[in-house]
Amino acid sequence: MRLHESGVREIAAGIRAKKFSALEVFEDCLARTTACEGKISALITTAADEGRQQARRIDERLAGGENPGPLAGVPVMLKDNICTRGVRTTAGSRILGDWAPPYDATVWALLREAGAVLLGKTNMDEFAMGNTCGTSAFGPTANPWDVTRVPGGSSGGSAAAVAAGYVPFALGSDTGGSIRQPASYCGICGLKPTYGMVSRYGLIAYGSSLDQIGPFTRNVEDLALVMRILARQDSKDSTSTCGTRGECFSELRGDIKGKRVALVRDFRDFTLDPGIAEAMKRTIAALESAGAEMVEVSLPTVGRYAVACYYAIAASEAHTNLARFDGVRYGYTVSSSAGLKDMFQEVRSHGFGAEVKSRIIAGTCLTEPVRSEQYYVAATRVRSLIAKEFAEAFENADCILQPVTPSLAPEIGEVDDDAMKGYESDLYTLPINMAGLPGYSFFTGGYDAESGLPVGLQLVGPRWSDGELLNTGLALEKILGAPVIAKAGI
Amino acid sequence: MSEKELIFTPVIGIEIHIQLRTKSKIFCTCSADYTNDEPNTHICPVCMGLPGSLPVLNRAVVEQGMIAGLALNCSIVSPTLFFRKSYYYPDLPKGFQITQSDLPIAASGWLDIKDDAGAPKRIRINRLHLEEDVGKLHHSASDGRLEGAETSWVDYNRSGLPLAEIVSEPDISSAREAVEYVTMLRRRVRYVGASDVDLEKGMMRFDANVSMKCSDGRWGRKVEVKNMNSFRALERAIDFEIKRQIKVLKDGGEVLQETRHWNDAREVTRASRVKEFYRKFIVEPDLPPMIVAPDEVERARATLPEMPDRKAARYARELGLTEVDAAVLTDSPDVANYFEACVARGANPVRAGNWTRTEVLRVMGERRIDATELPVKPEALAELIRLIDDGKLSTTLAKSVFDSMLEGLSIEEAMKKGGVAEGGVGEGALAKLVAGTLAANPDVVDEIKAGKDVKGKKIKFLQGLIMRETKGQARPDEVTAAIEAALNSK
Repeated sequence: MRLHESGVREIAAGIRAKKFSALEVFEDCLARTTACEGKISALITTAADEGRQQARRIDERLAGGENPGPLAGVPVMLKDNICTRGVRTTAGSRILGDWAPPYDATVWALLREAGAVLLGKTNMDEFAMGNTCGTSAFGPTANPWDVTRVPGGSSGGSAAAVAAGYVPFALGSDTGGSIRQPASYCGICGLKPTYGMVSRYGLIAYGSSLDQIGPFTRNVEDLALVMRILARQDSKDSTSTCGTRGECFSELRGDIKGKRVALVRDFRDFTLDPGIAEAMKRTIAALESAGAEMVEVSLPTVGRYAVACYYAIAASEAHTNLARFDGVRYGYTVSSSAGLKDMFQEVRSHGFGAEVKSRIIAGTCLTEPVRSEQYYVAATRVRSLIAKEFAEAFENADCILQPVTPSLAPEIGEVDDDAMKGYESDLYTLPINMAGLPGYSFFTGGYDAESGLPVGLQLVGPRWSDGELLNTGLALEKILGAPVIAKAGI
Repeated sequence: MSEKELIFTPVIGIEIHIQLRTKSKIFCTCSADYTNDEPNTHICPVCMGLPGSLPVLNRAVVEQGMIAGLALNCSIVSPTLFFRKSYYYPDLPKGFQITQSDLPIAASGWLDIKDDAGAPKRIRINRLHLEEDVGKLHHSASDGRLEGAETSWVDYNRSGLPLAEIVSEPDISSAREAVEYVTMLRRRVRYVGASDVDLEKGMMRFDANVSMKCSDGRWGRKVEVKNMNSFRALERAIDFEIKRQIKVLKDGGEVLQETRHWNDAREVTRASRVKEFYRKFIVEPDLPPMIVAPDEVERARATLPEMPDRKAARYARELGLTEVDAAVLTDSPDVANYFEACVARGANPVRAGNWTRTEVLRVMGERRIDATELPVKPEALAELIRLIDDGKLSTTLAKSVFDSMLEGLSIEEAMKKGGVAEGGVGEGALAKLVAGTLAANPDVVDEIKAGKDVKGKKIKFLQGLIMRETKGQARPDEVTAAIEAALNSK
């Protein structure tokens, strides 16, 4: 097996055992990346020089008898809304220009401290607004399973990179499915942790009360290993409430005997692509064969109001988060203009893409003093109901099994023509962020008969049940099989 | 309009911004003291609002806000929230200000002042809320304004300083009342240590809402007058605005609801050229609800000192000081403590008050120190005053002894240095001196005897000669008595 095809644990163990060097791993992953990028375009920035230096440093430290950490020498790619000191960070937008942050996001600081090596910054929908990677100012990314199709979004670059074997793991962010949906489209594992589990410090915000950073890997145990490093209380993020809960990722047993896994009654009549419906059946059978008990729960408010309320909250928060891009302090600016107002207008008109502008306008309208009570405030109230409804559902179930999307990866350009279709496909993902719950998106071991695309599903649990979800994930992976590397068009 | 003269009653509410005294800014660890430092040297990703940065509430700000609120008779509210108040301006790095707005930490307070007729009047305080300050703009335009400036610079050192905004109810009826209210408020918040309220450093800024009630039932619209940075400016601006509005109403016109800026140089208010910002609010998702535990409030309440206005009233009532002297002595807590320590050591309160008000404050001013740093401790001053009261030192000589004590001498050393032996002049010695002086000035003695010393000047002259002989050690009244006795015996 080539080095780039190995998982996180294999690479870390191999480097520690000096079977191969960190530099060898880095060069092999870089070579795979270079070979595929022409077809896939998963990256906005390649950090070849920085990464090579880091890899050498890991090898030196190992040679000197030091322990460079549990991820020593493991190459990683970060979604380009995660700040990396001195390395360009764009959030997929023109408006940040060549901005290189003067500081590291907490997640990157944690990974680097654990020995991980940065290989690149991945493509994404502009400011994480989109579900195809199609709104990126840097052009679309292709799905490594079928390069005419989207990898999903907004963390499509990270998902494609892991699926194509650029790196054994990558980080994304999930505001309304942005980790789970691309993981599903690309046939890999992705976790959207419980809100508050992973620090958001250094994540360029979209909807601050919904955003959560999480990893992509090609097997569930790698996911747990990475989460053991990321799940830390962070004094720089006031919404970090992880405490010592990171311990839940310590040991996955893969034993789910007696676990109650629920299907949502209110979703029963919704149409699914045949490949996804088939995957549901196979997964239910696998769960039952592993000793789990299938039950039903009801989420009426979620089914009816979650999507509308999600967009009201996300847009309201987003338009304030994006207000700082005015060309005064950093990023894209204009050299001369008639006055202050002209400057703001020019910078924002040229700097932002259409999707971002439409959400800024929506957020501005929804929070206008005359409408705020009816829209923004009303949505925050429904949000509490949604959280309560989930909490009640989890009194009778340990987790929920549901699709990530009702259909498989569309062709590039297909969804972008009809924005409403994209919105509808968010029903299975958005409510999870509204309630701050963990969602684990996994490969079901099967491919759609017609398109050949991998099929994924997700497990949703109560807050802080992330470890349990991965445990159930391990039981499934043992039966259904782990993801394999995509051809990536070559 | 009838012949009857119309009566106009001003209705005034005041909004005060004070900078709370803390080591660091409200949401980051940058130092809050940037006096004399270069622009943009006290900044970090948080107070610059860099993408990905997150605010972390400085708990010291909460404590200071709570203490200031208690000093203004407010109730402390918990839990409360922070909001994002959106508007675009280059001095606002995030495009929104984080503020508690109308869900404040402290509410429903009051201060008791006197109205223009001298009767007691209560000014209600709606709330005290916490918020962050913005940066400072410098414009190249000759009038220092943004419009028309060729170049503008922004200094973000001030960005993120902790502010408390204190909003009064519209209970104020004149510029004088306004000044009394803000004076009392300033003294109180400084007293409890919540703010240094240094007006020259911009630590206290005023806005006034002025409207007019007319005896014919008409109400003028509310005009917000901004940009007052001193008591004098506040007084003049309100006076100007009252006169302007009365004139408009008398002429049958209508007062427009608008924002006007006080021009301190020209002493006029001008309608703001910029249209007021359209401000919107959403809950700040990056900060959890702010909790103040009841025992925290009680602990803070227990440490509150006696308020300066109450203290002044007590000095007048119990110690027989004039209201003016009492106000001076209670202006800052260190001086009041000095004075009280002096009185506690048995010094005559009026004399102790006079010494503190004159000598102590003079030296504090000259040396730029506070009362606790004065080399002459209150106990020593009390002793000095006792010597004066006992007739063992004249006031003049006591002042020179005091000056020596300022150089670090003890009271005994200071008296020796001045050639003063404690205990005055013995009776026998005094009689000898008197006899000698009378013998040396026969013409004066004759004139007194002839009844020509109607105004007592001649006796004073003799007394002065003797006092000089004794280097001020003799008691002036004893000397006079001795002279009179000698004259009568002749």
